[in-house]
Amino acid sequence: MPFFILPHTADVRLKVWGKDYEEVFRAALLGMSAIQKKAIPTKDADFIERTISVEASDGTALLVDFLNEVLSLCAINKEWYFDGVFERLTATSLHVTLHGIAISDFDEDIKAVTYHEANLQKNEKGEWETIIVLDI
Amino acid sequence: MIPRPVFKKIHDWLWEIPKSFRADMRVPACVYATEHMLDDIRRDRSMDQLINVATLPGIQQYALAMPDAHEGYGFPIGGVAAMDASEGVISPGGIGYDVNCGVRLLRSTKTIDQVREKTDALASALYRDVPSGVGRGGRLILRGNDLDAVLQHGAHRMVELGYGEKADLEHLESTGRLEDADPSLVSDTAKKRGADQLGTMGAGNHFVEVQYVETVFDTAAAAQLGLFARQVVVMIHTGSRGLGHQIATDYIRLMMKVMPKYGITLPDRELACAPFSSPEGQQYFHAMAAGANFAWANRQLITWEVRKSWQEVMGNTGGGLSVIYDVAHNLGKLEDHIISGEKRRMIVHRKGATRAFPDQPVLIPGSMGTASYVLLGLPQAMEQTFGSSCHGAGRRMSRSQAKREVRGSELKQEMKAQGIAVASGSLSGLAEEAPVAYKDVDEVVDVVHAAGIAKKVACMRPIAVIKG
Repeated sequence: MPFFILPHTADVRLKVWGKDYEEVFRAALLGMSAIQKKAIPTKDADFIERTISVEASDGTALLVDFLNEVLSLCAINKEWYFDGVFERLTATSLHVTLHGIAISDFDEDIKAVTYHEANLQKNEKGEWETIIVLDI
Repeated sequence: MIPRPVFKKIHDWLWEIPKSFRADMRVPACVYATEHMLDDIRRDRSMDQLINVATLPGIQQYALAMPDAHEGYGFPIGGVAAMDASEGVISPGGIGYDVNCGVRLLRSTKTIDQVREKTDALASALYRDVPSGVGRGGRLILRGNDLDAVLQHGAHRMVELGYGEKADLEHLESTGRLEDADPSLVSDTAKKRGADQLGTMGAGNHFVEVQYVETVFDTAAAAQLGLFARQVVVMIHTGSRGLGHQIATDYIRLMMKVMPKYGITLPDRELACAPFSSPEGQQYFHAMAAGANFAWANRQLITWEVRKSWQEVMGNTGGGLSVIYDVAHNLGKLEDHIISGEKRRMIVHRKGATRAFPDQPVLIPGSMGTASYVLLGLPQAMEQTFGSSCHGAGRRMSRSQAKREVRGSELKQEMKAQGIAVASGSLSGLAEEAPVAYKDVDEVVDVVHAAGIAKKVACMRPIAVIKG
């Protein structure tokens, strides 16, 4: 999956990319979930679905706000979301169904997804790309 | 990286990036460090972040970085900025996601010689009684009016519920309660995140440590705080948990939306802010105060849990544990400061920086397994740093690099060999917090002492470390 963890002195700097918004948003979700928990859901797990809608002023804010919504749901429901299907995804709004499992604890405590260095834009290959700094 | 010649030497421990360095800077950016430490600090992006802070509307005198400064997001960690309360802004990113992350120090009447053989038992009992790790809930689940009472009254509410003594409150910064708190401005999402988290430590760099006083630097000041050589003390480091994280998330999002209305443009979105006097600025300030109260309530309940463990292990002859002080190092406070000879109301942002008012105890936790310090604020701090000091050793290495360089199991063995009992839920979490990943706390504290911000009173060494 197109995400990569870059060095940061105190927190986690995640680089994500994709050929379109859906790919880059999904990559960010998968990247964040991989940091939260080093696990692979088993086939016999009780899978959970949650839907969320987010609106923001632009694509960068939409991505950060979306990841923060996911983090809040993880903390409140004690669930880990390892994938998502985007039913609607525009430059300023999204509706997504998250797939997850109930969980007793996480490996890493991500306090929040920050706007610091976030700038969703096309790179020289024509792919959408941004850095996301997670507060650990 | 900001080139070395850009930094103008003010004195041996203070360096300035002049306002002329970048056109949008409103004030200079200053960093407290030795020349050697400055070279280290320059390696990450903390100085670029400090320059960004210097562009915030209403900032007074200078943007400051303490000697433990390192790269954060928006503000650097170890950052201090004072904004004029009538003309300046408040920035949630300048206070941090862990609102009122802070440190509490408890003193016992025992010496290390009386406790040494019980350190393993103490570590086990504390690990059992103080819930830690990511996602583990605590013994109290509070909702509705019960949670609002905690957000309104902080540590005072916990004492009312029986989790502590009234005397505890006299030794907490702001007595463990900010009067400006308004629970109605804290979102339901934040309240749900905090519902089961009172009395929990969390993970990352948060800890409970049993320590002993290794060195007393100032006998009179130590006696005033009830400290003596070889005395056993307990240090607690944690904050407002998920509730505080959500308050910051909610209000950064709100401020991003309203900044155009106030004509504010910034070099980094994470610095999102609003005029302090605006409805949004006031809403955040009152919600942040509620988050701060939750953190003080959290450290109060953990104090109760620590006392329970202490009593069980030490028995009836163990004596009590009294609060020496409790101080925040991620907070925005409304304070009066002298600017150009005139007393002015300021909203002081401290992100990874400790308040250090004259004669106030300043608690500096070191990295895991190394020294921690008690200092006392000095009058010069009011003139130089808006009454602020460093907050810890400060990271110098990323978590992933620390995990590559250190094995958690070996580190645990090394600490055991040094006489430090370790109870930790995660060996990889232990590796992330290895001392090698941090700056030398002794050097950080020496800068603060030499610069006249705060004076060294005592230095402690751990004998038991409890982490998530």
